[in-house]
Amino acid sequence: MRSRKTWFAAAACGFAVCATAAAAAAQVSRTSGGTLTVGGVIALTGSSDFEGQNQVGGLYPALYAINKAGGVNGDHIVFKGVDTRGDPADALPAVQQMLATTSGLVAVAGPDTSSAPTIVPVLNSAKIPMMAVAGESVYDRNTAPYFWRLFPPDAANGTAMVLWAKKKGYTKIAAVFGTDSGSQGDKPGVIASAKALHLNIVSNVDLTPSQPTYLSSVRKVIASHPQAIMTESDATTAGTFFGELKQLGGLVPIIGTEATFTSPWLTAVKGALGADFLKDYTGLITAPSKVTPAVKTYQHSVTAVKSKEPSPWQSYLSNPFSITYYDGMIAVALAMVATHSNKPTVFNAAIPSVTNPGKGKKVVYTFAQGKAALLAGKKIEYVGATGLIDFDKWHNSFGNQEAVMSTSSLKPIAKGVVTAKQIEAVPVKGA
Amino acid sequence: MGSTLVSAIGFGVVLASIIAIAAMGFTIQFGLTNVLNLSFGAVMTVAAFAAYLANRHGVGGWSGLGVGGAAGAALTLALGRGVFRPYARRGAHLFEMMMVTLGLSLIVNYAIQALSHNNIYQFVVLPSTPLHLGSILITHTQLIIVFIAIGVLIALISLLQLTKVGKALRAMAADPDLARACGIRTGRIVVLTWLLSGFLCGLAGVVYIINAQSVGYTTGQLFLPLVVAAAILGGAGSPLGAVAASLMMGIVTEIVAAFGSEAYSTVAGFGILVVVLLSRPGAVRGGETGHTQLTL
Repeated sequence: MRSRKTWFAAAACGFAVCATAAAAAAQVSRTSGGTLTVGGVIALTGSSDFEGQNQVGGLYPALYAINKAGGVNGDHIVFKGVDTRGDPADALPAVQQMLATTSGLVAVAGPDTSSAPTIVPVLNSAKIPMMAVAGESVYDRNTAPYFWRLFPPDAANGTAMVLWAKKKGYTKIAAVFGTDSGSQGDKPGVIASAKALHLNIVSNVDLTPSQPTYLSSVRKVIASHPQAIMTESDATTAGTFFGELKQLGGLVPIIGTEATFTSPWLTAVKGALGADFLKDYTGLITAPSKVTPAVKTYQHSVTAVKSKEPSPWQSYLSNPFSITYYDGMIAVALAMVATHSNKPTVFNAAIPSVTNPGKGKKVVYTFAQGKAALLAGKKIEYVGATGLIDFDKWHNSFGNQEAVMSTSSLKPIAKGVVTAKQIEAVPVKGA
Repeated sequence: MGSTLVSAIGFGVVLASIIAIAAMGFTIQFGLTNVLNLSFGAVMTVAAFAAYLANRHGVGGWSGLGVGGAAGAALTLALGRGVFRPYARRGAHLFEMMMVTLGLSLIVNYAIQALSHNNIYQFVVLPSTPLHLGSILITHTQLIIVFIAIGVLIALISLLQLTKVGKALRAMAADPDLARACGIRTGRIVVLTWLLSGFLCGLAGVVYIINAQSVGYTTGQLFLPLVVAAAILGGAGSPLGAVAASLMMGIVTEIVAAFGSEAYSTVAGFGILVVVLLSRPGAVRGGETGHTQLTL
């Protein structure tokens, strides 16, 4: 009897130890040759579906580059889309389902601006690293350890737009922004920066998406006689608004946020403005890196997976959002290699160690180069397709911004640079 | 203040003209068949793309009105004969049929979205030159659209009041059983209704893209709520009522947008619908139909 009790006790202890070990390894416990998953938490459908297209436009090439180089620690990475529909109410259950059902989840690309306030705490609690593009200023001083942002905050983008307007000699600006949360994010930065740089906001118009006409808003803008319009809205709204603005003779130079330099927006406004689009539009985007091996590898990877890319696949060769997602995922993969671990709790803190500049680090431009260097025992600095990546203590990294116009095939043509130092020097209040 | 009001009224008339063309088509079909056809917006979009594609292949911009109208008529007839009638014969009632039209609308919209690659395409018929009519800022194109709407109204009223077909249509709308008993070939009249309604729907889609100078997969969706509201407000089967309701909705929405916010403009339009229907269930012109069965 006693021996039976002892046996049960031993078995129970053994079971408890196994269960604890299993729970500890629950995040990712893979044998070599397995499959890891990256979740894409973004709007894949709905009016913000272009955000999902931007994301997969960069993630497919990243996973191609990683897997082609042998994957991470013997494992290959696959992508799983999680549709937020641009709505926190849809995002939360979708993310909870992803967490409950996805084995080998190592990182998330996203969340987007609209669902970030709901989703970031959830993913942070689950200890899943996020490569977000949420532009809200609340993340400028982010304290969530699993949140990373390789993207300028909305306020910085807004400040860059105003700096560009000032450089061009404009003093009277119309602010025309969609009422969706993504578009509204940049507006405070524009307004506050304009105030700081003594530019006059002569009209401040909000566009509610999906209206059949914006004639009254167009009239307000025309009546205020702006020299330039600063803007962000969804593609359909922008196409309708600027088409009507042109028809009524009110077209002036357009300065768009980074979010406007995406295929749907450019196509819509180009469709509405015709030839005027090429001369009247300027977008402020994260300054693309000079043509380095990183850029070439990114573009080669996009071409290699063009059949999987959203249409038109060529637009992702220069899409700033896609390039950012690409770099974020390469950085995560390199951190996994550096720590010899696929556990987020282990590799998350090592992400800056493979990107930020430092003495004695070997500069690498591709995942393959970085992996080889790490396996050779070297420390690395990954300079991505976006250029230098230097995460600060709030897990933010952003550099210069570039004013670009678009070719008729939607490729950027550089017009000038607004440096990160210039942006930081603007005494913005209230953004 | 005064100039803003006058300008808003001007914009309202332009908006109302586009709504009115579609609403006249919607109300004719709704008044006669009792089908609350929510695929109407999707047909508008298809017709708009048909005009765009014809234009790409050398058909003149204004000829696109005919192309779009024909495409709208053909598609509406195909849906009416191929989908709505079989469902009605299998016992579908008003609500079930509305759900069928909603489903069709989604299918067509997603198909257009996929085929158009989410893109918006330029469609310029007349280079835009703004005209200043007092405080009203308007383009030549918009002025032509207003005249097109007036022309459609006159033609439709003439058809309904002065022709045998019109009488048959009105008889069917009033009492389909009695019309059938009087020897009216109701099947043909229903076909004619689909064609007429579809033509006006297609015409409205093309008129909209002529004004917007671009076409995208959301073209018809943006207008559908306003069109349905105008048709209901104007009274089922009443083109004049639909035009009056369209004018009211167009002007109010633009005034609210001019003095308040664009965000509330459409809400204001629907506010009118609610207030008018509460105070006068017969609506602006009063419904001509009393029957609640599908006539297909």
